[in-house]
Amino acid sequence: MGRPRAFDETEAVQAAAALFARRAFDGVSVDDLVSHLGVHRNSLYQVFGSKRGLYLRALRWSLQHQVRPLLGADTAVLVREPALDLLLMAATERAPADPEVAQEVSAVLAELDTATRPETTATLLGMRLRARITAEG
Amino acid sequence: MPADVRIDGDTLIVEVLGIDKLWALKSRLQIPLVNVAGATIDPGIDREFKGIRTGGTHFPGWLTAGRFRKNGEKVFWDVRDPNKAVVIALRDESYARLVVEVADPRATVDLVEHAITRS
Repeated sequence: MGRPRAFDETEAVQAAAALFARRAFDGVSVDDLVSHLGVHRNSLYQVFGSKRGLYLRALRWSLQHQVRPLLGADTAVLVREPALDLLLMAATERAPADPEVAQEVSAVLAELDTATRPETTATLLGMRLRARITAEG
Repeated sequence: MPADVRIDGDTLIVEVLGIDKLWALKSRLQIPLVNVAGATIDPGIDREFKGIRTGGTHFPGWLTAGRFRKNGEKVFWDVRDPNKAVVIALRDESYARLVVEVADPRATVDLVEHAITRS
């Protein structure tokens, strides 16, 4: 029932990932999603079930298409990458309270550890945190 | 009074309490968890056009309770305070969504979201 989906699901997921990376989960309302994604409220609920459903899709998309391709890249490159920001936000905000988010975050952190060394992962995330303070993107 | 949302086994139970029973047509909805797509805190939904009322009561700005039809979808409303509105999205049910006021929106959303599994 309802109107046919008149939007590109992947584009919506990518736009949501960018929004959640800047403002965190709690900082993004359904009103924000409706206006930034150009998706009707009813379609949003039909397709993703909930804001958290969309968040999980966005996080998984970001880890798969933004973070994993960078595994093994030089730290100096990674520190400048906004691609790490949703991971960073998820690790600090959602993972401690949401087992599914924690699982996604832990898995990719373990992959980062393997690609470099655990100390490098920790340093990288810390450096990205500091870079965000002054970086535009 | 806010609605009571709880989980009993593999069923989501939404009970409309107190005086709102007079307004909403059904006071107890039972939904199998497999048909629950998610729950979201959504105060802003109250400002959108709700559709055509097909049952229940609507006093704009004060109380929205009952059945509404919008874009071919049926939506159940029971909201007095939009700040505490939670949207429960359903699939394969006669209602596409339930929009209910609850005492603790964050707790209700966590309860529902962690009871359902997504692939």
